[in-house]
Amino acid sequence: MKSATFRTEVHEQLERIGQADIIVGIPSFNNARTIGHVVRAVQAGLAKYFPEHKAVIVNSDGGSSDGTIDVVHNTSIDDFNAILLHHRVEPVSKIAFPYSGIPGKGSAFRTVFEIAGALDAKACAVVDSDLRSITPEWIELLVKPVLVGGYDYVSPLYHRHKFDGTITNSIVYPLTRALYGKRVRQPIGGDFGFSGGLAQYYLTKDVWQTDVARFGIDIWMTTTAIANGFKVTQSFLGAKIHDAKDPGTDLSNMLFQVVSATFELMNTYADIWMPIRGSEPVPAFGFEYTVGLEQVNVNTTRMLNIFREGLRNLGEIWRDILGAGDFGEIERLGALADSDFHFPIGLWTRVVYDYALAFHKGKLPVEHLIKSMTPLYVGKTASFIIGAKDMGQQEAEAEIEKLCMEFENCKDYLISNWK
Amino acid sequence: MTDFYQTGIITTLHQLGKPSLERLESELLGFSKVRPIALVLPALYSEFEGPAMPGIIQELTKVKYLNEIVLVLDQASEKDFQRVRELMAPIPTDVRIIHNKGKRITEVYETLARNGLDVGEQGKGRSAWLAYGYVLARGRSDVIALHDCDIVTYNRELLARLCYPLANPNLDYVFCKGFYSRVTNKMNGRVTRLLMTPLVRSLQQLVGHHDFLMFLDSFRYPLAGEFCMTTDLARVNRIPWDWGLEVGSLGEVHRNYSPRRVCQVDIAATYEHKHQSLSPDDAGKGLMKMAVDICKSIFRTLASEGVVFSDGLFKSLLVTYLRQAEDTIMKYEADAMINGLSFDRHEEAKAVDTFTKAIAMAAQAFTENPMSTPLIPNWNRVTSAIPGIFDMLKMAVDEDMR
Amino acid sequence: MEDFLNLILEPLKELFLKFKAFVPNLLAMLVILLIGFILARFIKLIVVKFLTAIKFDSWSDRMGFTTLMRKGGLWNKPSAILGGIVFWVVIIVTLMSGLNALQIPATDQLVGQFFSYIPRIFSAAMILIVGYVLSGFFSRAVLIAASNSGFHYAKILAEATHTLLMVLILAMVMEQLQIAPSIVLAAFSIIFGGIVIALAIAFGVGGIDTARRIIEREVTAKSEEETKDEIEHI
Repeated sequence: MKSATFRTEVHEQLERIGQADIIVGIPSFNNARTIGHVVRAVQAGLAKYFPEHKAVIVNSDGGSSDGTIDVVHNTSIDDFNAILLHHRVEPVSKIAFPYSGIPGKGSAFRTVFEIAGALDAKACAVVDSDLRSITPEWIELLVKPVLVGGYDYVSPLYHRHKFDGTITNSIVYPLTRALYGKRVRQPIGGDFGFSGGLAQYYLTKDVWQTDVARFGIDIWMTTTAIANGFKVTQSFLGAKIHDAKDPGTDLSNMLFQVVSATFELMNTYADIWMPIRGSEPVPAFGFEYTVGLEQVNVNTTRMLNIFREGLRNLGEIWRDILGAGDFGEIERLGALADSDFHFPIGLWTRVVYDYALAFHKGKLPVEHLIKSMTPLYVGKTASFIIGAKDMGQQEAEAEIEKLCMEFENCKDYLISNWK
Repeated sequence: MTDFYQTGIITTLHQLGKPSLERLESELLGFSKVRPIALVLPALYSEFEGPAMPGIIQELTKVKYLNEIVLVLDQASEKDFQRVRELMAPIPTDVRIIHNKGKRITEVYETLARNGLDVGEQGKGRSAWLAYGYVLARGRSDVIALHDCDIVTYNRELLARLCYPLANPNLDYVFCKGFYSRVTNKMNGRVTRLLMTPLVRSLQQLVGHHDFLMFLDSFRYPLAGEFCMTTDLARVNRIPWDWGLEVGSLGEVHRNYSPRRVCQVDIAATYEHKHQSLSPDDAGKGLMKMAVDICKSIFRTLASEGVVFSDGLFKSLLVTYLRQAEDTIMKYEADAMINGLSFDRHEEAKAVDTFTKAIAMAAQAFTENPMSTPLIPNWNRVTSAIPGIFDMLKMAVDEDMR
Repeated sequence: MEDFLNLILEPLKELFLKFKAFVPNLLAMLVILLIGFILARFIKLIVVKFLTAIKFDSWSDRMGFTTLMRKGGLWNKPSAILGGIVFWVVIIVTLMSGLNALQIPATDQLVGQFFSYIPRIFSAAMILIVGYVLSGFFSRAVLIAASNSGFHYAKILAEATHTLLMVLILAMVMEQLQIAPSIVLAAFSIIFGGIVIALAIAFGVGGIDTARRIIEREVTAKSEEETKDEIEHI
């Protein structure tokens, strides 16, 4: 395995620091607007909760042109007294540099793993650079279970709007849970804590030239940790609010990146998930609380329109992947009025499993295959939004739980067709 | 098919609106605990290599309510048999494959022959009959469904609708036949349209009211290969091993049960399968053979119910049939026109000519030897002749599957 | 009298001599044909075995060749058909070599032409196969992308892409085979140019209103989208 090459000044910095207990990685790309807040929160968190530990903040940048790195260098908390009762013993070092390799979040994380190795870190955490809702407590919640609790991997739990995170809720969470038998609620949350040992384990995997190096990194980290028997836990971080999304990100691209990474991992770990039945809860840290639900505008008419256009145009592809029976059901859905639209969970489960099987058997070129799923996903999402319109947080969560059970119950179908 | 007209003396279950397959299957799953269902599939190895069987397998992998699937594999070598086992493996239901050409099954057939039980020649009828025997021998199912393995447009909704009338314990049916429209860009199903219906109506014209003819005429698609029945019925029914299979089976159903307990169900919006070539000169194969067998089967059944077939009757029949068939062609031509289907009048007329010849040949064969019967004895008779036959059959299949 | 006999016998003798010279050639041809036939059967067997081993059939299913064949009424396995093609190519080559062995000037030239044409046939076949796969790939990419953005005419767009690419590829194939190259070029230019002009006119003259409506709808839809959809998918 070829290790990422650091520039000489990074090497010098690493040599100067020598050893560290905690590494906090912040991948960035043109996040000058928000990264200051994130760095401050991380610094405060480290100072407040880990005063006795030597900590390093690593900003792995994808070549920003808006001065993100400068913001990181210049951000410091002037008055620690405002948040701390006593002064910090160990200082927090900062390293900020542009990484090399394929551009993407995965490559940024890779350098974080390598620095963790070079500095022999005990615990690491990574947080997104566009977070608006991050607080110093996040660092404690992500790092402490590793440092004190003996866990290897900490995945986040957020409080989110019932309509948010639909790719997670309708595909990634139910699928990961049914496959690997662990109820990790936010497998692609984006903010994680992990042990130095696990970081080293990640580096032994030769995936850095694949899609994992780009956007599949979240699901890859979670799945690798679960599938290889690392001790996994969750921490409740509160609300997740980030900077407004880049309007250029296209939904089908997003779906493609996440779902193809998930399906690819199914190929890798087939021997591991095959024998697993049912699922077990994963312990969670943090104080759980509920937040009020603000009104979110969703245009289900437009979504259903995409579904119906998909049915009209991609029908032949779908029939090939789903088989005549389930395609007939999809056709039936296409004829329903907007208000009656309901995508049955059993059908959705088979759709996801059929796509996973089609991916495994290489029925279509990967990008075509998964992008052709977009209208189905949009239809399922619209159905959920219509159905959960008047539901509270708990009821909406119960719906997702039902879907997960369906995924678990239908797993035999997936297994018997997987060859 | 959107009308709701009840045809004749049996019950017709239509496809009304767009019923959800999801609901149908979940109900079936519930019923299947009270009335377990076996699916019998008579298949040739070539069908696994064609387009039909892979599609059928893909659909069957999603069916959960079946208790067992019995596949009778014909024209397959030992290697083919193993390959079929692999191909059927993804199906979650308990799949039993009867290797019809295998050593053990051949031995079973020989045992039957030694004991004076003539089970006829190899074909769909004999395969289905053997599969019923195996289902009865296992004694695990109450309902047997059967469909062909050459359906290119297979959809598991077909199976669900076919099984429903018998699986639902609130409905008291013992036999259910599928029907569908055989339309692509033209009308298919020539034998039903141009032979069966005109022939049955001509006979009604000639011999007057007759229960069996009424019964036959009630079916929208009497030659459909898809049906569902109780295991009791499978035990007492005798099955013809030739092309008269469908008509002969209906004859047996009519003889043993009241029409009130018989229904037909709309199972598919579209249906496409392998077509038989018209072979007007050779009575030994293709559509011609099929037509002759079907006519013989009708004559035989009617004769057994007391209808007298004289030379004169047959002569009149030919003329009446021709008239009926010509009228039918005109009806279908109009039907094709309004629906914008292509309609080759000449081809249709040629088919009628062929069928007329077939009726004449069947009449001759019947007159020469009215007793020749291609019926395989029913399982009650077989078990009384060879008490150990069920065990033997079960062992043969189980050994093969090992 | 003797002269007269000679007059008759001489041509016969000559014919016999020529025939005697020809017989070994004929024998050589027959032997070549026999060996060629056996070789062809053998190569076919090997090709089919090889294709089965590399799972050519399922690859062909995925690439859409099987469907193409089925549409053309061919129900054999793709590997068997390819084996058949190889068989016939070998047979034709042997036939040509056999003709060559006859050493008749007229056939010699034909054979020479045939062998110099083979590379063109081969490259044309390659262009056709690769082109078919690529045009299928691109038209499906267009179909999926257009459909996912809710574009109503996705199917037509994809079919148009497919047709245009196929026209381009067929022109390339014809060019490669040197079938009336000047006409192919002219026809291609006319068809391709014609399509473009037709589209331009259709949109320019007939479709001003429609185009405006489409653009307006797209614009309003866009602005609606930006204000309306607030959910996060990940």
